[in-house]
Amino acid sequence: MSVHVASVGMGRYGKRPEGLIDLAAEAATAALEGVGRRPIDLLVAGSMLAHGHHGPEALLPRLAARLGLEAGSGLRVDSASGTGGMAFHAAVLALESGRFERALVVATEKMTDRTTAANTRDLAASLHPSEVAAGATMPGLAAIVTQRYLERFGQTPAICDAATVHARAMSVHNPFAHFQKAVTPEEVARSRMVSNPLRLLHCSAISDGATAVVIERGSGPATVLGLGQGFESIRLVDRDELTTFAGTRVAAQRAYENAKLGPSNIDVAEVHDAFSPFVYIHIEDLGLCDVGQGPSALAKGEIRPDGRIPVNPSGGVIGRGHPVAASGLAEVAEVALQLRGEAGAHAVARAPKVGLAHAMSGIASHNFVTILGREAT
Amino acid sequence: MTENGEALELSRCESCGARFLPTDGACPRCGSTHIQSYSSPALGTVLAATEMTSPAEGWHAPHRLALVEMPEAVRLFAIVDGALPTPGALVAVRREGEVYRARTEPQT
Repeated sequence: MSVHVASVGMGRYGKRPEGLIDLAAEAATAALEGVGRRPIDLLVAGSMLAHGHHGPEALLPRLAARLGLEAGSGLRVDSASGTGGMAFHAAVLALESGRFERALVVATEKMTDRTTAANTRDLAASLHPSEVAAGATMPGLAAIVTQRYLERFGQTPAICDAATVHARAMSVHNPFAHFQKAVTPEEVARSRMVSNPLRLLHCSAISDGATAVVIERGSGPATVLGLGQGFESIRLVDRDELTTFAGTRVAAQRAYENAKLGPSNIDVAEVHDAFSPFVYIHIEDLGLCDVGQGPSALAKGEIRPDGRIPVNPSGGVIGRGHPVAASGLAEVAEVALQLRGEAGAHAVARAPKVGLAHAMSGIASHNFVTILGREAT
Repeated sequence: MTENGEALELSRCESCGARFLPTDGACPRCGSTHIQSYSSPALGTVLAATEMTSPAEGWHAPHRLALVEMPEAVRLFAIVDGALPTPGALVAVRREGEVYRARTEPQT
């Protein structure tokens, strides 16, 4: 049975005055209007930080009530920063079971009303407790990964600056992105050090935001062609190699096999660059370029919108902003927009037929790959 | 005991022979729960080290953390006492409660 993305609803990412449910409802309403308010029989929603004073332990019933979906069924999913990817996969699997006709998938996060300390603490919930006990944070461990990458491939932190410049050059064309201004390599290299070699502008921002998509039985330009997931040890010291993410490689292999396609068939990709140099690791792990060749692919213009394989035309996590749970669904949503010809000013140069979305939980401990496109006839 | 007066307790999988940092879970390589502890020399080599301006709760900035490779390729994260070491530096590692601490060894 085929399932396709029938509509996408985005709200503006950034510092927003609204609360979690309002943000979710804004994106959801846009997605519902995209299918002419046709009936929804399944709501799948996800949020990583929705606890405590937001009161959204009741995220699903509150959202269902707001949207008038109480006649349907609901599932809530949680996979840290990969939540949006997991929400999409869960909804597709539910529709493929034959039980449901049409699902609304929503991923939402409210972060800017929390202190940096609270965000740092709660984001570290996606890391191994023994490593957090030693003081590790997401940026701290990402810095260690980045150092290993620079050393292995003989690179300098300039490649991290270049990755941020790429992301921000893309996000200025995306009206929903947190960052609407491009940056120069010099500005990135002058931003304050967070955890060497990572500077502030190499790290994803604290953002509010939500994304929604409606998926339904049937096919179209953004039909689900392949899904794949992969785990990798959450305790980083148990990994043999930090410069490649085994969970992404496994997820990609499964998704490619599922779709009966390979990396050469991918026309556009959205990858989870929570830290700008991760874009290189991801495109290498997805087979979109050779190992160690991510920086040269970027330098040669291959991942630009008019390049061989456009990557993160939405701005990616770095440019679009990072309401953590929402990012994984925004990656799928962007690929769907590109395939459906609805990407507007951030449309890639050559109309894509097949696209890939990658989402990552924590430091790549659970990864999701989704391949969308028009079914072969 | 090493000449530094310290040894580290590490883990070995009885099923596949993998060596790793003590864990509350199964062998990270094969999933076996047949795990033995053994005593290792406490000198390791720094693979990477970073200084965080906003460390995890309970620690103060600047907080220095090193990824250290111990004998038999067992890796651990250690809090660095003193200056930030460069990759390749030798460090003496000791366990302190839940965490490991490292300090740079003078080159001899």
